[in-house]
Amino acid sequence: MKKLSLLIAIVAFIVTSSAYGQKLVSSKSQIKFFSTTPAENIEANNYATVSTLDKETGAVIFSIPMQSFEFEKALMQKHYNSDKFLNTKEFPKAKLKGKITNINEIDFTKDGSYNANVEGDLTLKGVTKLISEKGTVVVKGNKVDVKSKFDLILADYGISFVKGKPASNIAKSVEVTVQVEY
Amino acid sequence: MKRKKIIKAGIIVAIIGVVIAGAVGFYLFNMPHRDVQNADADYAFTSTQIVNEYLADMDAANTKYLAVDGDSKILEIEGIVSKISENFNNQQVVLLKGASDKAGVSATFTEETNLNASNLKIGELVTVKGVIRSGATFDEDLELYENVILEKSNVVIK
Repeated sequence: MKKLSLLIAIVAFIVTSSAYGQKLVSSKSQIKFFSTTPAENIEANNYATVSTLDKETGAVIFSIPMQSFEFEKALMQKHYNSDKFLNTKEFPKAKLKGKITNINEIDFTKDGSYNANVEGDLTLKGVTKLISEKGTVVVKGNKVDVKSKFDLILADYGISFVKGKPASNIAKSVEVTVQVEY
Repeated sequence: MKRKKIIKAGIIVAIIGVVIAGAVGFYLFNMPHRDVQNADADYAFTSTQIVNEYLADMDAANTKYLAVDGDSKILEIEGIVSKISENFNNQQVVLLKGASDKAGVSATFTEETNLNASNLKIGELVTVKGVIRSGATFDEDLELYENVILEKSNVVIK
């Protein structure tokens, strides 16, 4: 009898605590930039982004430390950070403040792969633009994986090159790949 | 005759110029990344000190620690290991955080230094050296305190 009441207490505790845990915090993340031109391909990776996902409201937040993007070539990384490009000293973090608009179609209690529509404000280099992209939410047990791939027009955020090597070697539109494990 | 000599000299100077420019360009293009672990640390703090400095005035701290070209200050941070995890790049991530602190210092190790991180134990007092990428702050959208981020880290043996 005593054992049974203890078991009930434990179950009740687990149920209530999980009901309150609506906001998931990322444990692993990757954001990749990929630019391709006839001159060269440029890739950079960031593994230090922090993200939250609210299972109830669909609110999704990304805070991206801009100096954590790692390039193969040191010189490219210096250029990327400089005030002519992303100006990461002045703007050390980029942010996405968005929402999964079809959150009701995602069942976090059932394993599976769900399509997600994400809409929200992306702030890059101090410029905020509304973006609307598609992604995938994979639910597997207690883990939730979010993936998305979309194109970003650099000029939208005041990053443009009219002449010289950057103009020929950096694509006007870069492909962004996002992967987060919550 | 004189004119020919001048042209010849001009061509030689031009060739030398192109070769030097090419060599400099080649060097710059292939310039290696800064070797953080073989460079001297710019500052040494406890995790509590650097977190509190950022929470007090983030802009001032960013001005002090972040570099325009991304080769920001190299910090040596002493703190209590409160969490060890792995990122998507198979790098060990060690969180140094005081029990009563709002945020900590999250240090990402490298392929070469990973083993030193996985040998650490929770609760152990260690010193870690790495390059700062961003500071601690309360983010009202995340509703979380974000940690100071160090990368290219290794344990410092004293």
